[in-house]
Amino acid sequence: MDTFLSEKNQAVRRSVRSFCNEEVCPIAREIDREASFPWEVVEKMGKLGYFGIQAPKKLGGAGLDTMSYVIVIEEISKACASLGLCITVHNSVAVFPILTFGDDEQKQKWIPPLAQGEKIGAFCLTEPNAGSDAAGIEATAIRQGDHYVLNANKVFVTNGGVADICLIFARTDPQAGPKGISVVVAERGTPGFVVGDLEDLCGMRANPVTSIRLYDCTVPLKNLVGREGMGLKIGLAALDIGRTGIAAQAVGISQAAFEEAVKYSRQRRQFGLPIARHQAIGAMIADMATQIEAARLMVYRSATLRDKEKAFSQASAMAKLFASEISSKVTDMAVQIHGGYGYSRLYPVERYYRDARVTRIYEGTSEIHRMVISRGILGG
Amino acid sequence: MKETAMGSNKIIVCIKPVIISASSGTARSADSYELNPFDRPALEVALQMKEKRGNPVIVLAMGPEPSAFVLKEAMAMGADAGILLCDPAFAGSDTLATSTALATAIQKLTPFDLILFGTRSADSDTGHVGPQAAAFLDLPLVTGAYSVVPLDDGLRVERRIDDFREKYEVPFPAALTIQSGSVRPRDIGLLEMVSAFEEKELTTWRLKDLGLSPERVGESGSGTAVISVSKAQRARTCEFIPGSTEEQADRLLGRLLASGLL
Repeated sequence: MDTFLSEKNQAVRRSVRSFCNEEVCPIAREIDREASFPWEVVEKMGKLGYFGIQAPKKLGGAGLDTMSYVIVIEEISKACASLGLCITVHNSVAVFPILTFGDDEQKQKWIPPLAQGEKIGAFCLTEPNAGSDAAGIEATAIRQGDHYVLNANKVFVTNGGVADICLIFARTDPQAGPKGISVVVAERGTPGFVVGDLEDLCGMRANPVTSIRLYDCTVPLKNLVGREGMGLKIGLAALDIGRTGIAAQAVGISQAAFEEAVKYSRQRRQFGLPIARHQAIGAMIADMATQIEAARLMVYRSATLRDKEKAFSQASAMAKLFASEISSKVTDMAVQIHGGYGYSRLYPVERYYRDARVTRIYEGTSEIHRMVISRGILGG
Repeated sequence: MKETAMGSNKIIVCIKPVIISASSGTARSADSYELNPFDRPALEVALQMKEKRGNPVIVLAMGPEPSAFVLKEAMAMGADAGILLCDPAFAGSDTLATSTALATAIQKLTPFDLILFGTRSADSDTGHVGPQAAAFLDLPLVTGAYSVVPLDDGLRVERRIDDFREKYEVPFPAALTIQSGSVRPRDIGLLEMVSAFEEKELTTWRLKDLGLSPERVGESGSGTAVISVSKAQRARTCEFIPGSTEEQADRLLGRLLASGLL
């Protein structure tokens, strides 16, 4: 598995795994149960550089490659998918767009606190009436003098309850259709910036997913990221790397479920044998391992293409589609191997099962991914 | 001697790359090795002293080329530089030959304030190397140090052993082995990892760099030889004692008495 990794990549994996074993695994069950965000651990993660994995060193980041990024996400997600989600969303769809499309002043202002985890980022695209159809958003950012006046109702915002710096997708030109969408940064605390209640979700419960509503929220014109009308372009570019991150997250959840299933199948005895020795269980273990390995390789391929500055959009979409779909299958098999105990909260596999499910939905549903991939092949 | 914030001579931490899992027939690569977990606290003590007194911290290890990986990890924890003793002549060294090579390398690094070791290694578990190297270098040694307070020209060391606390004052230069539970080794940050790989210096010293004759290291320099290694089999058998509960209890009691366990 590690044949493709540099020594630096391997060292990153080992250090993150060691941190997660010490600090994250012991609290993962409790923070899921209580739907609480573990600030103490998050602050440590900030000091260790997990919030600025690929941000340049001069802006306070670690300046690592995409391969290291997916390794960090996989390892954190293996311990706690909710924290993996926090980190991948922050890095890929909050830090990355500012780094890539922001001007120097924006980078100097926002990247150092984001990269060091002093501030948390969020990506606010989805609305009650616009999910997969991102061009259908209704939020507006209307110029008034040297300000934009933002009005928006953004839902299912990952990190919403803790985010300081929010990338708001809104129409700067309500008449211009998809080309009238722009990205404007709204900071928590600005008058009119309202954080809604926690979404009561089936999984990812330790991530404070909320709605964010903006009521005549006034921000300076210099909070525009890129140019007016670039919103969808920025969003899609961010989702290209974001999807590789979600794929890595799905691999991490799958790996955790797989390891639990292997452990349990060796301990649990039925008909006088450990159940691992029964052919039906062995076949499930084999399928799980094979699917995880394939998904991981797709994640590595997408990361490698990006590190080589080659087109990776299609590879990223395929990795996300495949890894998320196998994570549902793998975590389902892990529950099955555990039998009744797998359906109990006494064992961690039910958490993996719940957490895995959403990877097929967010940052583009499987259906949208199939559409994207088929268009890449067939055109149109 | 009084407590101080002065001093700047090197602290050398001897670390051992240990094999994570020994599987025969597999080529060893960087990911086969990990830093001996018992050495991490020694490195942590050195790094804390560096923060207080400014001593540069050098990590020193002996092993084949891929084991340099653990020196990178140690540098990512905060060591300033790493030295790997690596030569085919070192292969098969026992603790005596290893101590000879390490002590010779340490002599080359003079002047230094302190040499730190873990108390033992996760693989061979002898606990010999620290004391042997200290003896070779004729340094004062405290084993199993639990707390270390720097003084003007030495250390105040507390050693905990067999429910006793022993306090020592040792002058520099000195050697210590550090008790594994005494400090929690720090987590490694991503930026520090990048810096260890991209900026910090890792030097390899061969046999000729040490000026040692080949007879003093490797198998020929070893006082002991490992004849074979095999996995210990723990045979556990389960036996059901028949009869009613009372009969079972009587039989069990009889067996325990007969065996001398009761």
